[in-house]
Amino acid sequence: MAFAVTTLIFAVVGIMVSLCTRICFNQGPSANLFHLTLVLTATTCCWMMWAIVYLAQMKPLIVPILSEGE
Amino acid sequence: MGEVTHGGCCPPMDLFRSEPMQLLQLIIPIESAHRTLSYLGDLGLLQFKDLNADKSPFQRTYAAQIKRFGEMARTLRFFKEQMLKAGVSPKSSVAHVDVNIDDLQVKLREIESELIEMNANGEKLQRSYNEHLEYKLVLQKAGEFFHTAQSRALEQQREYESRQLTGESMQTPLLQDQELAGDSSKQVKLGFLAGLIPREKSMVFERILFRATRGNVFLRQATLEDPVTDPVSGEKTEKNVFVVFYAGEKAKAKILKICEAFGANRYPFAEELGKQSQMITEVSGKLLELKTTIDAGLMHRDNLLNTIGAQFERWSLLVRKEKSIHHTLNMLSLDVTKKCLVAEGWSPVFATKQVQDALQRAAVDSNSQVSAIFQVLHTRELPPTYFRTNKVTSSFQGIIDSYGVAKYQEANPTVYSIVTFPFLFAVMFGDWGHGICLLLAALYFIIREKKLSSQKLDDITDMTFGGRYVILLMSLFSIYTGFIYNEFFSLPFEIFAPSAYECRDLSCRDATTAGLIKVRDTYPFGVDPVWHGTRSELPFLNSLKMKMSIILGVAQMNLGIIMSYCNAKFFQNNVNVWFQFIPQMIFLNSLFGYLSLLIIVKWCTGSQADLYHVMIYMFLSPTDDLGENQLFVGQKTLQLVLLLLAFVAVPWMLLPKPFILKKQHEARHGVESYTPLQTTEESLQVESTHDSHGHEEFEFSEVFVHQLIHTIEFVLGAVSNTASYLRLWALSLAHSELSSVFYEKVLLTAWGYNNVIILILGLVVFIFATVGVLLVMETLSAFLHALRLHWVEYQNKFYEGDGYNFHPFSFSLLDEDEE
Repeated sequence: MAFAVTTLIFAVVGIMVSLCTRICFNQGPSANLFHLTLVLTATTCCWMMWAIVYLAQMKPLIVPILSEGE
Repeated sequence: MGEVTHGGCCPPMDLFRSEPMQLLQLIIPIESAHRTLSYLGDLGLLQFKDLNADKSPFQRTYAAQIKRFGEMARTLRFFKEQMLKAGVSPKSSVAHVDVNIDDLQVKLREIESELIEMNANGEKLQRSYNEHLEYKLVLQKAGEFFHTAQSRALEQQREYESRQLTGESMQTPLLQDQELAGDSSKQVKLGFLAGLIPREKSMVFERILFRATRGNVFLRQATLEDPVTDPVSGEKTEKNVFVVFYAGEKAKAKILKICEAFGANRYPFAEELGKQSQMITEVSGKLLELKTTIDAGLMHRDNLLNTIGAQFERWSLLVRKEKSIHHTLNMLSLDVTKKCLVAEGWSPVFATKQVQDALQRAAVDSNSQVSAIFQVLHTRELPPTYFRTNKVTSSFQGIIDSYGVAKYQEANPTVYSIVTFPFLFAVMFGDWGHGICLLLAALYFIIREKKLSSQKLDDITDMTFGGRYVILLMSLFSIYTGFIYNEFFSLPFEIFAPSAYECRDLSCRDATTAGLIKVRDTYPFGVDPVWHGTRSELPFLNSLKMKMSIILGVAQMNLGIIMSYCNAKFFQNNVNVWFQFIPQMIFLNSLFGYLSLLIIVKWCTGSQADLYHVMIYMFLSPTDDLGENQLFVGQKTLQLVLLLLAFVAVPWMLLPKPFILKKQHEARHGVESYTPLQTTEESLQVESTHDSHGHEEFEFSEVFVHQLIHTIEFVLGAVSNTASYLRLWALSLAHSELSSVFYEKVLLTAWGYNNVIILILGLVVFIFATVGVLLVMETLSAFLHALRLHWVEYQNKFYEGDGYNFHPFSFSLLDEDEE
């Protein structure tokens, strides 16, 4: 559930940033497509990284074992 | 047009493909040629082809002019040197006055000869001034010798006289008496020479003098406190004043020779005190005179240099422009009638209008009867690659170009590299504290961009400055991945939520043996802070980062193969789509795509399955039961299907393509289905068609071997490239371990001493280690590894990179060429 919500947040942020670049740097269709590609690639990369780390901790096979010193 | 009409797979995107280029032919009347080229140079969108490649530089039409401008450039360099010596900096000119190049040449020559004469005079004066200065010193010092010697002699004489007067002393030996008497009677004429000798040579000088004259000299030396300027070399040297006394002409000749050999300057010197003081005043007067003359000369020279400095930039620009114009004119071929110049060159299609405009303006401005003829040529030659980059994208494009310039209209990896390059860097450099430091450095360069770009920087700073936007993106992504890894100078923070783990019971007895237990939802963003410093931290992070590397790698390699699809579609090469793109996709994803899937499934289900085992036995015994390693139902069937697909994909890649190419070739050759080229009588076109005929030769064995190599490379590469992405894990591990070592071993140890001095010392060491090792060296190594992953693992899937860059004839690019 939390996974879907955060993914949605990523999607929303990605779309917002795309719109912002569209509005702020409107330089013709080919430049806009270029900016869109950049934003989408960046969003995808960031989302993948987050998703990987999140999924890996969902059902951990090992648990944190505190060191003796603490 | 020789090039294939392209059907794009996607709408045009900036930077994704080279600008469409065309080969232009311009026929320019000779009277307006110069102006035309000057306008085209201002425009800077036309790359001229050298039509006289077979001629040596001296045989060309404008060789004489080039030589002339070379001479002018030399003069300007001479001025620059002189200004540099005099400390006059060239000012950017304010008033824009048109200078004729011929007038300029005359002017430059005049100024140069004036300057040279001034320099020669100045040098002469300076030399004479230095000589006089030395002379004065000699006079003073040697005068002192004589003075002291005389006063001593007087004293002695007085003493002697007094002794004689008192007379009765019986001890007075007779001998002395006689000696003294003898002395005065047979006066030997002692000569002497005075001068200056460099201090380091003085000892040797003395010894040599002594030996050469068998000890029949008397040398007195006095050190000068301040170094004096040597008149000959013009350098400041430490010197000694010497006076050497000798007897006889022979000795004098010897001494003179020795002086010469040692570079000792001699000066005439009079014995009488009166004459000495007279000479001193004379020399001082002369010195004063010389000084004023020199000052006046210098002032005059400074004025001249200042006037040069005010104009220098403009002159130098003009000369460079003229030189480049004539250099380009030399590349044009002279028409048979000798009335026109024929130019050929590449230009982006979008610039057609601008080029035509420039031609028109040039014709009007030079009152030419006919304007230049503009014509688009059709050729099969590969056009240059031209991407319109800006200051942000150019550094990324530079990274790709240093691997290889994209073939004309090939898909440009830069589009995705702008994001993926800093991202992969950040995966290895995940620490938001370090990221912020990097961000500050990048911002410093970006804010002072205007100032820094105008001044000359040393190599390393220049490189960093050039890549400032790359560093900016790298630092932003590092901050992001730092939050994901939850590391701030290796310290975790509970920013987004409390940790998901708690002790099993209130006493927390088994926290160090059995470990904590997950009681809440998964930590929402990044790595749970509780892992930091636990005994199971490394096993957990290793497993996570290793799997992450593989998933990211498979994703990027898939992107690379998809780019190859874009290329195939763009060049309408269906063979590549069906027999390269599809089997490659299948092969990669049936092995490593499947591995990624398994990883994700394992995470989602929390299964205990051993993925190594699954992958290995997928090949060794695919029909065996998976047993406890089964992650989902139907896994065995899926594995069999994938394995089969992978095995089919290999011959699919290898075999059909060469045969199809052969068939295509035969079909083309049999029916002779060449679309006739548009016929123009240009010899070059005939040549280029000949060229392309040459390319049509089809060697089946060669094509087959090529395909074989390609296939083997891909199949082996799929494995080795995936393994290569594990460097993401290794470097990120190294980074976090190093930073935690610095934090714990340096900062915390220093803190433990409870001593301010040790704490400060520890802090200093920590800062230096962080900056030197983590921020500089680790940045460099992560940069290089990200570079490798892009150049090799990503680009070998689609990038040919055998094109050449578009180098337009442009005045704005002149500076770089010149220096």
